[in-house]
Amino acid sequence: MATIRVPSALRLLTANQADVDVDAPTVRAALAQLDQKHPGILKKVLDGDAVKPFIRIYVGADDIEALQGLDTPVAARDEIAIIPALAGGR
Amino acid sequence: MKATVVGAGGLGGPLALALGAAGVELVIVDPDVVEVSNLHRQIQFTASDVGEPKAPVLAARVSRAGGRAKGYRLRWVLEDADDLSADSDFIVEGSDDPTTKFAVADWAVARGKPYVIAAAVRFGGNVLVGGPGTACYRCLFDEPVAADTCAAAGVLGPVVGAIGGAAAALALAAARDEVRGNLGTLYAFDDLRASPDPRIVRFSPRAGCPACAQRKAS
Repeated sequence: MATIRVPSALRLLTANQADVDVDAPTVRAALAQLDQKHPGILKKVLDGDAVKPFIRIYVGADDIEALQGLDTPVAARDEIAIIPALAGGR
Repeated sequence: MKATVVGAGGLGGPLALALGAAGVELVIVDPDVVEVSNLHRQIQFTASDVGEPKAPVLAARVSRAGGRAKGYRLRWVLEDADDLSADSDFIVEGSDDPTTKFAVADWAVARGKPYVIAAAVRFGGNVLVGGPGTACYRCLFDEPVAADTCAAAGVLGPVVGAIGGAAAALALAAARDEVRGNLGTLYAFDDLRASPDPRIVRFSPRAGCPACAQRKAS
């Protein structure tokens, strides 16, 4: 099982669950599984078939944009981190 | 050493107090006034400050603590940036406005100054440290559209103090070139209730980044 690390800013959609285990061959499939478990989160992360411009996704230490994008392979025990730009602070 | 602090709220407060106490001469910029709803997290203000402009009140607080600061009630925009910040050695952004964050980063990249972009939402936050010759904020995030803001998702009061303190420490280190390799790095604090340790994301320049291209052209 790989693990998706859901950022604090998106955990309202996962009932505050930080880690979601998935069994998927690619990042795309992993995100689809995440959305099956927590409907609605996918549209916060993707615009159609692309990662939203204010979100980065890492597999381990690597940005998927430097790998194969959403088709980046995912192995068991990989950590998939969703990292959004934040704007709060006032 | 001089610096500009953009935002005088939850992040700007601890940033300004920490940097001012460290001897940094500050320009503080914020367009807002203090509201009652700010007081649980913007602990630099008191009930008697409600209705007063944040930036001058914060600057006065820094000065009472022995620092030097000037506060201006206005929004930091590129058109005024050189007037406000040209003589700053570095700039720190702690507002809740995505457009301002990108403007500050783009300006700092163009002027070759170290900069820090800080944000806090719910239980965590991000601190990005940038500087000359490294990947920039726009290399990492393409556009000024934020995933979430305090207004939409809320923020735990102590979180802004922690993120603001971290941002101040990282800004000082970057400005003094004390920590090799911390430029071009995002420190992502996920949930401070669970762990104070950030995820450290070192990112690379993005091909086609307009901010980096403009810097090279100039």
